[in-house]
Amino acid sequence: MLAGLKSKWAYLAAAALLVFLILIPFDWFLGRYTTIMIFIGIHTIVTVGLCLLMGYTGQVSLGQAAFFGMGAYISAILSKTYDVNPWLAMLIAAVMTGAFAYIIGYPIFRLKGNYLAMATLGLGMIIYILFIQLAQFTGGPEGMSGIPYLSIGGFVFNTSFRRYFLVWFFCLAVLLISQNIVSSRAGRALRAVHGSESAAESIGINVTQFKVKVLVLSAVYASLAGSLFVHHLRFVSPQPFDFLASVKLVVMAVIGGLASIWGAIFGAGTTHILSDELLLRFGEWDVIIYGLILMLVMIFMPEGLFVKLKEVFERLRLRYRRRGAEP
Amino acid sequence: MSESVILETKGLTKAFGGLVAVDKVDLSIEAGKITAIIGPNGAGKTTLFNLITGVYPVSSGQIYFQGGLLNNVPAHKRASMGIVRTFQHVHLFGNMTVLENVMSGRHPRSSYGFFEAALRLPKARREEEAISLNAIKYLNLVGLGTHAEHDALSLPLGQQKLLAVARAMATEPRLILLDEPGAGLNTSEKRQLSDLIRNIREMGISVVLVEHDMPLVMGLAEWVIVLDSGQKIAEGTASQVQKDPKVIAAYLGEEVE
Amino acid sequence: MSSEQFVQYLISGLTQGSIYALVGLGFTIIYAVTRIINFAQGEFVMLGGMLSFVLANSVGIPLVPALILSVLIAAAVGAIMYVLAIRPARRASVVSLIIITIGAAIFIRGIAGQIWGKDYVRPPYFTGEEPISFLGANIHPQALWIIGTTLVATIAVHLFLSYTMVGKALKACAINPSAASLVGINTRTMGLIAFVLAAITGAIGGVVMAPLTITSYGVGIMVALKGFVAASIGGFRSPIAAVIGGILLGIIEAFAVAINWGPFTSDYKDAIALIVLLLILLIRSGKLAEEERTG
Repeated sequence: MLAGLKSKWAYLAAAALLVFLILIPFDWFLGRYTTIMIFIGIHTIVTVGLCLLMGYTGQVSLGQAAFFGMGAYISAILSKTYDVNPWLAMLIAAVMTGAFAYIIGYPIFRLKGNYLAMATLGLGMIIYILFIQLAQFTGGPEGMSGIPYLSIGGFVFNTSFRRYFLVWFFCLAVLLISQNIVSSRAGRALRAVHGSESAAESIGINVTQFKVKVLVLSAVYASLAGSLFVHHLRFVSPQPFDFLASVKLVVMAVIGGLASIWGAIFGAGTTHILSDELLLRFGEWDVIIYGLILMLVMIFMPEGLFVKLKEVFERLRLRYRRRGAEP
Repeated sequence: MSESVILETKGLTKAFGGLVAVDKVDLSIEAGKITAIIGPNGAGKTTLFNLITGVYPVSSGQIYFQGGLLNNVPAHKRASMGIVRTFQHVHLFGNMTVLENVMSGRHPRSSYGFFEAALRLPKARREEEAISLNAIKYLNLVGLGTHAEHDALSLPLGQQKLLAVARAMATEPRLILLDEPGAGLNTSEKRQLSDLIRNIREMGISVVLVEHDMPLVMGLAEWVIVLDSGQKIAEGTASQVQKDPKVIAAYLGEEVE
Repeated sequence: MSSEQFVQYLISGLTQGSIYALVGLGFTIIYAVTRIINFAQGEFVMLGGMLSFVLANSVGIPLVPALILSVLIAAAVGAIMYVLAIRPARRASVVSLIIITIGAAIFIRGIAGQIWGKDYVRPPYFTGEEPISFLGANIHPQALWIIGTTLVATIAVHLFLSYTMVGKALKACAINPSAASLVGINTRTMGLIAFVLAAITGAIGGVVMAPLTITSYGVGIMVALKGFVAASIGGFRSPIAAVIGGILLGIIEAFAVAINWGPFTSDYKDAIALIVLLLILLIRSGKLAEEERTG
């Protein structure tokens, strides 16, 4: 099932990590981190989509928070105002967000590089403005509260403990699906588009169609995350979906390594922990640190912090093994 | 159009604003042969390739592939029709290994998509198996079998060019267009390349190459077409073309500058 | 709409547009010379305004030296940004460079917010606030300063680019960097000059507008976006077109809000610029796509 794990050590590590993940929300273990882990899981889902878009396909998105917000608001409005079943609302949100991505995809991918970045920035901001201005639906700048919990039959996800497993179930599913895509024919096509669009076209890859497909996939991921976000907080407001939020998502993707799916957890995780710690101790220094991180990482390790750490780890491992072989 | 003509152009013209890069060119490429297109710099050879592969839209004139009109077929569909090319500047996929580059070449001959990939359905696994085997076959054809797991860009230029050919071959073309395959290669690499091109011809695939290296062209090509300033000025066998005064004038003109 | 109202809106549009013009000018200079879109361009505007307040009001320096000092400090920030963040990454991919300039932008913005707080501040007017009567409308003297300064700055930049050695070298870089370096022009120095020049024009805009529009640490992003729209009208190659674009945008915004109908209410004012941006990108995308193929 897991493509890409090459040695039995990797399987062991993965199993250990899984056990670790399962045990986190228990009070006798790391229970006090349950809430932050929920947010990390949610943001990882968005980040994976961004990695596929920016890292694998090589396109820029400075407005990803808009898709996140669309999922959040559509879920909130449908389940609260119109009493739609929250699961159905989540599905509709994903479909609508994906459809929106599809519609803007073809026109927007006629642009490249800087122009594409600006277009995504502009679209993201327009949607943010809509979140604020369409107050009769969205509740305006104050937002909406009283959004229902998700539930399956009589089992309601009304504790952090339960929602932790819900969120990480989706998160791991998204990670596995994305890993499968990356190591497949479609994944090669994405990388081909990044590598050389002309060459990709010459071997039969419909470049624009692939870009649009990845955009739609990343939008659906983000929408899913947005729905989970809103059913956790039971509240939605425009504030977490502004330009800065899109920048934070890029930070997460960049730290995790743009071309690394599993690095997305690392990226989302470090960004969150950093952000929480910084907010607690230093007020609003988190934004300054983000700026610094973005600059430093892109200048010195554009392949991402996670991937760089992996390289360092590999080198140390080889050196250790060589020493071990000497009598 | 006779059975043995695989590619034909009639009055093919491409203009960029005021500049006419290809000027009413009539071509008739015979199937199963090695055809060379030569001419001084700026003659329009790469533009011609770009027209045939669909990178540029045609300004006027027609292109026929195996009897069918090619003009409005989008570039990415031409590979599955059987037309493939290599690039002057190689254009490998730098973010992949050698094997993965060739595996990408199987794209038009495979079909599973995002959905099957995401869930690793049996169709996906079966096709991956076939893609892998095929890719290895073409890697071996160009002699790069032992380099399968290396990073594509870690190869020296000569081998990168061979890799590009393997990738193109993986699409199972009927017609392969090689854009200056010999550029930047040393003598033994050029010999390797010539052997490979003859191999490809033996497989029944039609080859068209643009080249500047005259000995390479003369040794390989069964038919030579000469372009100058976007127009066809001569064609014939290698020895005929070499003696053609118009051709000599065109090249001499270039040297004097 | 009465003729006085028309003139009022026109002046208002001209005033706002002048700021966009100056920012657009800065974008164009940097892009033309280095092919980089500097997302931090708006922060130079913010710095100009904030510094003029801090120096004139808090520190108590007389107005004119305070203004000059503000611009100089902003120029220094531009130079430092180039040397520390841009030059080491010159060969990075477009995506990397975009992220780097965004990083610089939020870094500068964050520091400003920390040092000076988040409140809106108003530096002193240049020549008071007695409105001037013109064609029946009342014009704030600061508005005239804004329009006038933009005019002077644009002419100055144009003269600089066309008639000085450095300016011509910049233009050469813009047209063909490899040819420029072949004739001995140091492209890295040119990049530095471009950044400093852009910082100066941005800061001048900030300094001259802050008394009228008030300012705070966070104004950079929106200003940058609108300046970007201005620059994109000029295709990022023509400084004059960027200036005209900026003024046009300002006027469009002013009249769209004046009509106050449907989506063109004052709430959606910012969205107008964004829609214009997307329209321009859409219209030009065909041309850009062609450039990609043949370039």
